Amino acid sequence: MIHLQDVSVEFNNGVRALSDVSVSVGKGDFAFIVGSTGSGKSTLLRLIYRDLVPSTGTVVVDGDNVTGMKSTVVPFLRRKLGVVYQDFKLLPQKNVWENLAFALRVIGTKPREVRKRIGEALELVGLAHRCDSFPNQLSGGEQQRAAIARALINYPTVLIADEPTGNLDPTTSWDIMQLLEQINVRGTTILCATHDNQMVDRMKKRVIQLEAGRVVRDENKGTYQYSES
Amino acid sequence: MNLRNIEFLIEEAFTGIVRNGLMAFASISTVALSLGVLGAFVLTALSANHFAAAQVGQFQLAVFLERDIGEPQAHLIADNIGKLDGVASVDLRDRDREWADFKRQQPGIDSAGLQGNPLPEAVNVRATAPDLLPGLAVKIRAFDGVQRVKGWEDFARVVTLFRALRAISIAGAIILLVTTAFVISNAIRLTLYARRREIRIMQLVGATNQTIRIPLVIEGIVFGAAGSLVAFVLLRVCGTYVLYSAQDVIPVFSQFSSGLGSGDLALGLIIAGMVIGAIGSLVSIRRFLRD
Repeated sequence: MIHLQDVSVEFNNGVRALSDVSVSVGKGDFAFIVGSTGSGKSTLLRLIYRDLVPSTGTVVVDGDNVTGMKSTVVPFLRRKLGVVYQDFKLLPQKNVWENLAFALRVIGTKPREVRKRIGEALELVGLAHRCDSFPNQLSGGEQQRAAIARALINYPTVLIADEPTGNLDPTTSWDIMQLLEQINVRGTTILCATHDNQMVDRMKKRVIQLEAGRVVRDENKGTYQYSES
Repeated sequence: MNLRNIEFLIEEAFTGIVRNGLMAFASISTVALSLGVLGAFVLTALSANHFAAAQVGQFQLAVFLERDIGEPQAHLIADNIGKLDGVASVDLRDRDREWADFKRQQPGIDSAGLQGNPLPEAVNVRATAPDLLPGLAVKIRAFDGVQRVKGWEDFARVVTLFRALRAISIAGAIILLVTTAFVISNAIRLTLYARRREIRIMQLVGATNQTIRIPLVIEGIVFGAAGSLVAFVLLRVCGTYVLYSAQDVIPVFSQFSSGLGSGDLALGLIIAGMVIGAIGSLVSIRRFLRD
């Protein structure tokens, strides 16, 4: 589903964010990307939704070589992916329903289909009762649920979550993780960058650890720290 | 792009304007004030040019004939002058009436010992275009029986002044137009800058550049049109007030008119506002869509 081969990213200021990273994530996988701040987690995720282009190496997502992709094609790649951010990135001038509708209407979905999919997504994340609320009227957990609902609205094959619980309390974080697991069970591939060691340890999923832009560990059913075994 | 998309993009544009009311107000005010200043300058320049052109248009040649020429000969000379290219009209002056007027203005003239009417026969000549007058003066002076041709000596100086006024008006209008476009485009850029997060999110959910661009360009056009309407009302209300007030103090202002009707002015301003708004939006959005 996602293949990064010998990928390096060097920014214009000379900072090397990733060095020779090779990672593959299969269809239906759930993988955590862990590592200290500046280790390259977000950079790796940004490569997948083509917010960044690697300096060297190739990135293939759902069969599409993202590396040489024309900028006019990028929006169509992003429609196949769902992305969830630490700061939610909801449109502040639109209510929850409109935020979700926007993601569908920009790709020309019929109004009847828009209503159907929004209903499904809000039901899944348990936010149907707050559909008229604006982002600033929601709690952090509710905003993240709304962001997840928006990420799922186009039935993506891959859900990318960049620190989805970074702004949330432990209880809400656990609810969000449970929600991600529920989505994963339905067949969506999930790639989640996080600092939340407790969540990683409780979820017992694949863990890819980055340090200074390199993959230093790739462990199935791993924990946040190196396992002793 | 189908009808559903167009409907969505227009809806997005108007939702954006309503929900970003403060920024919309700032943009519309900027457009209104900038176009108001530009419009005021253009109207003043047009009025001044019309006034100057009217003054230039009043220039005519006074052709004085030799003293011993009788009226039949004067008619013949006038007919010949009338046949010259560029002559619009030739009027033989009524020397008896002029002499009577002169005596009325100078009552003591009778005691100067003058015998009869001393004024020469004369004709007034108007040209089809004022700048033909110097050439006509030269040709008419060569006619037999013509003593003197007057009325063109100051013409060249007046025309130079008129041309300078027109050049200054055009240069000023161009400078102001560029400045106005820059100010309006900056105001729109600030509006977009305030919404850069929104633009970024649109990109991340898979909106194409066209889907992002069109509503924002429509917003720019609406800001331009709304601002220019306000500018039009300001110019009409304030312009009329200023002109009437000025006429009370300086009567010559009653001859000032831009020659532009309200419809032309409104249309010109609205088209200028919409074009500047659209171009300002397009140029500003490019920066945000670059990546």
